[in-house]
Amino acid sequence: MDTLVARYSRPTYTQNELFTAQEQEEFAAGSTPNLSLKFAMPPVAQPSAWLRAATDDRSNPHCPIKIAHGTTTLAFRFQGGIIVATDSRATAGNWIASQTVKKVIEINSDLLGTMAGGAADCQYWLAWLGMQCRLHELRHKRRISVAAASKILANLVYQYKGKGLSMGTMCAGVTKEEGPALYYIDSDGTRLAGNLFCVGSGQTFAYGVLDAEYRYDLTVEEALELGSRSILAATHRDAYSGGFINLYHVKESGWEKHGFTDTNPVFWKTKLEKGEFSNVTSDFSEEV
Amino acid sequence: MSSPFSINGGACVAMVGKDCVAIACDLRLGLQALTVSNNFPKIFQYGDNVFLGLTGLATDVATVSDLFRYKVNMYRLREERQIAPRTFSNLVSSSLYERRFGPWFVSPVVAGLDPKTGQPFICGFDSIGCIDFAKDFIVSGTATEQLFGMCESLWEPDLGPDQLFETISQSLLNAVDRDALSGWGAHVYIIEKDKVTKRLLKGRQD
Amino acid sequence: MAMFSQNPLLNGASYSFSEAPKFNAPEGAREHRFDPYTDNGGSTLAIAGADFTIMAGDTRLTSGYSINSRFHPKVFKIGGTTSDQSDATLVLSVVGFAADGEALKERLDAICKMYRYRHGKPMSVKACAQRLSTILYQKRFFPYYAYAILGGLDEEGKGAVYSYDPVGSYEREQCRAGGAAASLIMPFLDNQVNFKNQFIPGSGEGHALQERERHPLSRQEVETLVKDAFDGAVERHIEVGDGLQMMIITKEGIEEVVLPLKRD
Repeated sequence: MDTLVARYSRPTYTQNELFTAQEQEEFAAGSTPNLSLKFAMPPVAQPSAWLRAATDDRSNPHCPIKIAHGTTTLAFRFQGGIIVATDSRATAGNWIASQTVKKVIEINSDLLGTMAGGAADCQYWLAWLGMQCRLHELRHKRRISVAAASKILANLVYQYKGKGLSMGTMCAGVTKEEGPALYYIDSDGTRLAGNLFCVGSGQTFAYGVLDAEYRYDLTVEEALELGSRSILAATHRDAYSGGFINLYHVKESGWEKHGFTDTNPVFWKTKLEKGEFSNVTSDFSEEV
Repeated sequence: MSSPFSINGGACVAMVGKDCVAIACDLRLGLQALTVSNNFPKIFQYGDNVFLGLTGLATDVATVSDLFRYKVNMYRLREERQIAPRTFSNLVSSSLYERRFGPWFVSPVVAGLDPKTGQPFICGFDSIGCIDFAKDFIVSGTATEQLFGMCESLWEPDLGPDQLFETISQSLLNAVDRDALSGWGAHVYIIEKDKVTKRLLKGRQD
Repeated sequence: MAMFSQNPLLNGASYSFSEAPKFNAPEGAREHRFDPYTDNGGSTLAIAGADFTIMAGDTRLTSGYSINSRFHPKVFKIGGTTSDQSDATLVLSVVGFAADGEALKERLDAICKMYRYRHGKPMSVKACAQRLSTILYQKRFFPYYAYAILGGLDEEGKGAVYSYDPVGSYEREQCRAGGAAASLIMPFLDNQVNFKNQFIPGSGEGHALQERERHPLSRQEVETLVKDAFDGAVERHIEVGDGLQMMIITKEGIEEVVLPLKRD
């Protein structure tokens, strides 16, 4: 076990060998390849500037490679744990690339991460974080704290600062020592602890609903409803958010999934039964 | 990304059927990502059987639609008859070309029935007035590619009014559901010899 | 320079070094624009059924307005024990830059072959899908310009389709269109495969109308959909046409069909 741990826990800076060495290792050695920290770099003086020109559709609308963006994600702490809710839309420019993205990433059975910004960056590094958390458990024979887990991620993205990573993520978990703990980490290297965060292009709309109704002593039902309603508001007004509402509740016993629900029926139910969203017409009689 | 044609968003489609035509538009008006209104129809009527769909920059949509209201009224007063769709299309074309070097940022679509023969007529334009006469369908707006894909696979010749309504509705709804900048409900007009049916469609509100 | 470019759409030549040395470059330094990508057009499509997966792609290869080849496959069998891939179980499709697509295919195929050699069994789609994601992410800072789709049958024998962005974010889906005509085909698939915006006739008035329940389509239905989708795309997209290559993955193996498309 110790050799296994040692193998995976080399610090990143010692792993800057040539790309071909890794290929050789992959094919020659009997081990399975892993979430390695060796990345191919373009042969130019300013790799990050080149990458930006090739992939960032905001600085260069004609860039050949369009990476999925656009999101509303939120998470908040309350007496019963943490609610995590997201939409499910991925956009590349105005094109809706997918309506079924899973933006809540299950790091392990206790920890959740959310996805905003580059989809691949979030998927890859949160999977990597899951590996680091497991390694921590093996080394220390106890579960990692949310504070420590989020700091591993924050330190990692800080190493890559300026290289072009794009992520805005929230780490949520409940532990004995910390209680419900929620951290915001982004690719600039920011790491914040807090009660309530919304991240993404629809964040302002979600904050609007969430701030108005949020209390720490919310019941579990109220909290789930508030999370879902905040996402619904954001999907309605933000063009780059929509699809399905992905809802999770994190407790000390681990997280619990509360559905992946299409916004469309939820929207009309909210409108017709509660009289909200009065800006939308619902009279579809024959002649308009 | 900040092309005048895609700031406000919106989509429009017209289709030919058997002795009928249909024209449909979405209802969104936005400012980039922010949806400002979900009740901004883009289809305007200029005679019993003449309809114009306008997508593009919302301020120009409003101005151009009013400009044609004025021009068509003047035509009616002078000629003492209603304008025909083909005549109207030529009016649209020449009016747009007047602004050759400072165009209106709109992509118009005309749909109607010829008042004499009852023949279906549709056409589309670029922003400086080049006419695209089509026998099947015309699309415009931020969801053009999606609409082309839908129409090309759902449309067939000689659809009756009810089938045409279903075809144009499915084409528009599914197209705008893959475009971030259009949707939020739709209007559909089915134009027959002596009947125009207008319907409001329930679309996704995200 | 740009006047004689064979690629008017990209407004520049389709070579890696499209610009002459800059005048204001520092003493002795020669700066060239590093432009390693070309868009080779084309489109791909994948649909998963109850016990099969169909992967399809057109066979045209373009560069700007030129057609460089009328038969250049975009859909590949992956992970067979031999070079003819007769016992392969997975299929990969790639669009974007053909050279990157080819490199990606070769890399994934080598890995799947090594896995099969070491473990004595073919790689599952789930495992291969995860591995493909990390392969793409290895080049996060110098991406493969390739939109990949991986198809196969899952552990339960159900059709599985995994779709990717160029840097490796992936998702299992029922259907996916990729490449130049993705925007034309995808809404059609939403409507015809996932029955989006379809309601059961007479199931209610106005808001009471029931949504049509999704059910897996038969192989015959899916094949028809694929052909219809490409016939539509060929009509309205200049980079799509010539031939339609289809791979049908069932538990019996992989069947390959090539049909003609319009060549105009």
